[in-house]
Amino acid sequence: MTTHSDTGTAFQSRKFTDWPTVKEALISKEVGGVFILAPLAMQLVADGVPIKVVYLGHRDGTALVVDKQSSAQDFGDLAGKTIAIPSRYANQNLLMHKLMREWNMPEDSIDLRELPPPEHPIALQSGSIDGYIVGEPFAAKGEIDGIGRVLYQTKDIWPDFISCVLVVRDDLIEDQPDLVQELVTGIARSGKWLDDDMDHRMNAADIAAEHYYFQPPELLKYVLSKPVDRVKYTRLTPLRNEFDEIMELALDIGVLSRRVEFEEYADDRFAVAVEAAGWSFDELPAADKGDL
Amino acid sequence: MIRKVLLGSILWTLLISVLHVQLNVGWSKLARDLQSQLGEKTDELVVGFLPVT
Repeated sequence: MTTHSDTGTAFQSRKFTDWPTVKEALISKEVGGVFILAPLAMQLVADGVPIKVVYLGHRDGTALVVDKQSSAQDFGDLAGKTIAIPSRYANQNLLMHKLMREWNMPEDSIDLRELPPPEHPIALQSGSIDGYIVGEPFAAKGEIDGIGRVLYQTKDIWPDFISCVLVVRDDLIEDQPDLVQELVTGIARSGKWLDDDMDHRMNAADIAAEHYYFQPPELLKYVLSKPVDRVKYTRLTPLRNEFDEIMELALDIGVLSRRVEFEEYADDRFAVAVEAAGWSFDELPAADKGDL
Repeated sequence: MIRKVLLGSILWTLLISVLHVQLNVGWSKLARDLQSQLGEKTDELVVGFLPVT
């Protein structure tokens, strides 16, 4: 699906189904940018891929789901269990290690198993895993299908959780900064539109379900409303302190092969320019949180 | 009489064309299409994604 901006630039989206292909598409310049896992973006830079994080995809929007019949009431009850993660380079993997440390649990006390996100609910239903931690809409899918129960939303255990980030090729930033700015500004405006009004979210769910996610609109509407702050699309500037925390954790658990500094993998000038536009980023849909 | 019919036809065609662009096409799309027809280069950017948040 292609859409044009007000100035006539053609923005075309391309769907991928796995991360290695995304990496190849960036290197071969098939795509100018991509939404990618935050620690994976850091590792790509560590591997010499010339890209920069210019914006976040969203905040929160991940849940830790256990079997509906599970007796688990808190994170400590997951000791000895098998939990699926989307990728070792996912921030969800880092969060599991962070929580194990906070709960004073040995870091091998939970068996973390990499599975593609769409397979998480299926694996839970088959009994091959005891739970999963994944980005939406697959956490909500477990709930709606009656398979799983949300033990934690990330907003409750790592507020303003970062999962996917927008990376853009360095040559594009250097040669066409106005184009990158147009992209970032467009995403920021879309995010503000989404977080301004629940009707906008429902409208977006219909569009995304048909053209991008190929999931039932009801599932996406659930994700975007129950509760309303389950996933947020504002305050998406990449912040150094948050990325430093992710980088240190990734380095510590061996996900990153070397230390990478913020300036190496991030360029926040486009997000800063959006902030300077003076929009209010504090707005969520008018309904009370959790009431929808 | 012929002059009146001709003028009326021109005005009607103009009016219906303006309404068509306004209601069905969009002025920005029309401008882009004209730019394209005139050989002006427009920027294009492909952005990848996986269907998970």
